[in-house]
Amino acid sequence: MTVLVVAERTGGRLAAASLDAIAVGISLAGTTAAVVGFAAGPGARESASDLGQYGLARVLVADDPSLEGAPPCAGAASVAAAADRVGADTILIGGTTYGRDLVARLAVKWKASAANGVTEVTPADGALRIRRPVFGGRATETRTLAGPRRVLSVRPHAFPPPPSAPASPTVEPLARPEDPAPLLGPKRTGVEATAAGLGPSLGDASIVVSGGRGVRTAENFHLVEELAAALGAAVGASRAVTDAGWRPGSFQVGQTGRSVSPQLYIAVGISGAIQHLVGMVSSRVIVAINSDASAPIFRVADYGIVGDLFQIVPALTAEIRRVRSA
Amino acid sequence: MEIVVCVRPVPEAETRLRVAPNGQTLDADGVKFVLAGYDESAVEQALLLKEAVAGSTVHVVACGPAPRTEEVLRASLALGCDRATWVEAPAEFAADSIRAAGAIAAVVRSPLPDLLLCGKQGGDDESGLFSGALGEHLGLPDLNYVTDLRWDAGTSRFRFQRATEAGAERWEAPAPLVVGLQQAWNDPRTAKLPNILKSRKATVAKVHADPSVPPGAGQPEKFELPAPRTGAKLIEYKTPEEAAQKLVRILREEAKVLP
Amino acid sequence: MPDFSLTPEQESLRDLARKFARTEMAPHAAECDRAARFPDEIYRKAYDLGLMNLNVPAEYGGSGLALFEQCLIVEELAYACGGMTTSVIANCLALEPIILGGSPEQKERFLKPFCAQYQFASFCLTEPSGGSDAGALRTLARREGDQYVLNGEKCFITNAPHASLYTVFATVDPSLRHRGITAFVVPRSTPGVTPGKDEEKMGHRASSTSTVRFEDVRVPVRDRLGADGEGFALAMRTLDQTRTPIGALATGIAQAALDHAAAYSLKRHSFGKPISEHQAIQIRLANMVQAVHAARLLTWHAAWAIDRGQRGTLESSIAKCFASDSALQVADEAIQTFGGYGYMKEYPVEKLLRDAKLTQIYEGANEIQRSVMARELLRAYA
Ligand SMILES: Cc1cc2nc3c(=O)[nH]c(=O)nc-3n(C[C@H](O)[C@H](O)[C@H](O)COP(=O)(O)OP(=O)(O)OC[C@H]3O[C@@H](n4cnc5c(N)ncnc54)[C@H](O)[C@@H]3O)c2cc1C
Ligand SMILES: Cc1cc2nc3c(=O)[nH]c(=O)nc-3n(C[C@H](O)[C@H](O)[C@H](O)COP(=O)(O)OP(=O)(O)OC[C@H]3O[C@@H](n4cnc5c(N)ncnc54)[C@H](O)[C@@H]3O)c2cc1C
Repeated sequence: MTVLVVAERTGGRLAAASLDAIAVGISLAGTTAAVVGFAAGPGARESASDLGQYGLARVLVADDPSLEGAPPCAGAASVAAAADRVGADTILIGGTTYGRDLVARLAVKWKASAANGVTEVTPADGALRIRRPVFGGRATETRTLAGPRRVLSVRPHAFPPPPSAPASPTVEPLARPEDPAPLLGPKRTGVEATAAGLGPSLGDASIVVSGGRGVRTAENFHLVEELAAALGAAVGASRAVTDAGWRPGSFQVGQTGRSVSPQLYIAVGISGAIQHLVGMVSSRVIVAINSDASAPIFRVADYGIVGDLFQIVPALTAEIRRVRSA
Repeated sequence: MEIVVCVRPVPEAETRLRVAPNGQTLDADGVKFVLAGYDESAVEQALLLKEAVAGSTVHVVACGPAPRTEEVLRASLALGCDRATWVEAPAEFAADSIRAAGAIAAVVRSPLPDLLLCGKQGGDDESGLFSGALGEHLGLPDLNYVTDLRWDAGTSRFRFQRATEAGAERWEAPAPLVVGLQQAWNDPRTAKLPNILKSRKATVAKVHADPSVPPGAGQPEKFELPAPRTGAKLIEYKTPEEAAQKLVRILREEAKVLP
Repeated sequence: MPDFSLTPEQESLRDLARKFARTEMAPHAAECDRAARFPDEIYRKAYDLGLMNLNVPAEYGGSGLALFEQCLIVEELAYACGGMTTSVIANCLALEPIILGGSPEQKERFLKPFCAQYQFASFCLTEPSGGSDAGALRTLARREGDQYVLNGEKCFITNAPHASLYTVFATVDPSLRHRGITAFVVPRSTPGVTPGKDEEKMGHRASSTSTVRFEDVRVPVRDRLGADGEGFALAMRTLDQTRTPIGALATGIAQAALDHAAAYSLKRHSFGKPISEHQAIQIRLANMVQAVHAARLLTWHAAWAIDRGQRGTLESSIAKCFASDSALQVADEAIQTFGGYGYMKEYPVEKLLRDAKLTQIYEGANEIQRSVMARELLRAYA
């Protein structure tokens, strides 16, 4: 089995999600020798050496300047060409907005079976068996991807990072294959880090602390933010909070907001309405802090503190700071 | 402007999920199917554009079985779409977003509309495969996770934002284009009663999905519900400080989610 | 074979009402109840969606629904808030006399402009001296040339402080009793029309109820519905139409009470298990679900009979009376299931009891419904 791992770059580094893809690639192929890296666009050469940190010996690079500010779909032809060049049967990508979109394009272009956001991948009689959460984490599906080719994106945080095994990979340039021109029509003209994006972004963070109506006022919300800051966590909110205008809509977790699945989700003063739950139940560990012992959030939480958030949260922030500095 | 919006029936949010007797899929028996929230945003976006650009029409298309597919098409007509096409296909066919995108591409290919809209992902399987596959089938660029799409008549370009890990990206693109919508940045309208009555009498064009479109999303093998969470382990404490200490210890040592 | 399934059209109408009830009404129900606030912004949205003038034919700008579809909608709305529902459907009651008794010219003149805008109308029958005995009403309509001069007072009139149009029942000659009663359409702007102040009510506090005084109110003959003395029959035919939706309203309240009680019984523990595992609670829930189902089916049956062209006096009386009695009983049982919490305003069930109570009183008190039933029943044996 030969795996092509597509690297994504954010903020001058390999995206955390790409590490997930590398980890899965290595475990599937059984050896780093059968895992080939691919990096495109600006920073592709730096990505190549970053991929080497995890033992990849070969990286294809398409540092085509026309990909700067181009949509994810414009890179699909290069990925397919790279996969063909190295004889890959499997393409793995981090499950970001970029990766998920690329998977969809490649499924058709490269005539592969595809799945996004997988949390488990195992070989099964020449095919791949994948598991992924569906229905906002309320169920899990297992599918078999048969056929000679498959392309997958890996759910962020679902796998332990690959061990570090520094190597200096051979870097092969790859010319961007001809593709119908309209793919380069769309242009990115700017990026604004959103308010939620000042800390780790909601979708990317491995810890999320969310506040709800129990926090009572916009001013009090800093309690939630201080706890998040102590944990290096992203800040989320229930719709009660965003509707009241205490924090912008980009903070909202749930059915009409963002879906998150961090390692740890802490719900502060949130009752646990179904519309909120669908956005966070697939988190690995859920902690609820609520004064009402019968709040539905305690039914989905792993750990709970029944108590007044105005007392518990500052104590928790202080305790985190204490152990962090110890 | 000619706008196509692709929608799909999904179980309503409050559905109690059950596993089908074969263990492979959701048990759809007795489940009420509705327009997915993401798709509601797509329809809303189409209607906003139609209102902003004189002479536009909105054509809603869905692939799937009776009666649920026809129902979401009628719901879209009630919201204000101008015409509807039902690409009839068995549930298993339509559940494969890549295949559904191929079947729909065949129907909307000629003449190509200026814009094809859909939700960012299915509200059920969350495969996120549809918009990219549709773009590839049609040879058009696609952008997913889009909010706030507008048409700038001066430059003949769409202008929009994308919600990505990096924040809010600003984009511009000429027509034709495939766009997947992030849910709820717009406030989808509710169909009015007289329009619901009218939509019941409207015609929904019906074509059969081309069975030769190849599958792309694999075969379902198992559908599982999580073991019911037994409820939170409640931390007993006398002072807030004690509660904090106990929780941090558990998160580090038992749950291993803190360093 | 009778068929109890809903058509796709009926389902989509019910879905619309359900969505509106749960997203727009329910979140404000407790607050409006507490503050006795008339939530104009919610009623305006109901109007915009076509949920207000359900019974007015589409050609006059209403929704033109049959009674069965009206009942589906009313039950959903009442599930979220009985009081708001009373105010949302009061136009149906007020406009029904025009629909049933108005000439084509009057319908054109009154219904069309009325339905074209968000506004309220009120049905003015009850008077301080009596509601059940409508034949004894005292508001006087004295003929002067091509005008009538109205004098008198109405009370407990839903939406009266907000209404722009009143349908008024008055007598041209009290000695004729019900044969003197005559119906008029009176715009609020007519000099001499004065609604009173909002009454402080036990339930339905999101609705508004007041007196309306008529002092030398001049009404042209062309605004009279039907002829002199036809008003009583018109009022009764109106109530034959509007009684059934009150059954639906009561069913909605009862269903909400049942849902709250059942969900709570699974969560609340006593003696080491959820109270839903105590047989006493199970029997209570079983009784509640029987009452809710029977109320709904009786309501559907009455609506079906009337939609088929029957008068439906007996059926609608049975539906209204049974459903309202059931609503009170089921709300009471829900409170009992909640124990002390049920008695607290912080929990939603005590409001249901207060709201349910009204359904036994208005649109013909249940005593009157029972005497109607007995009359209709005995007629078959006489
Ligand atoms: C169509 C639709 C879509 C929706 N989408 C979303 C969505 O995407 N995301 C979302 O979150 N919601 C969504 N909602 C709203 C959802 O139904 C709830 O109304 C919302 O989640 C409630 O927010 P909350 O838990 O903060 O507030 P509440 O339900 O009011 O809960 C507040 C909690 O705080 C606790 N509390 C109060 N004081 C204290 C204290 N001092 N200490 C500790 N605890 C305290 C209370 O016990 C209570 O449990 C949606 C609703 C609809 C109808
Ligand atoms: C919130 C609210 C809103 C209302 N909205 C309207 C409205 O919009 N328009 C309108 O016209 N009216 C309205 N009403 C009035 C309502 O219809 C009357 O209250 C009802 O018809 C009863 O009349 P009453 O209050 O005068 O009681 P009464 O007629 O005085 O009756 C008192 C009691 O005696 C019983 N009784 C009377 N006669 C008999 C009998 N023959 N046999 C046995 N028992 C009898 C009654 O059932 C009742 O229990 C409203 C009332 C309320 C409370």
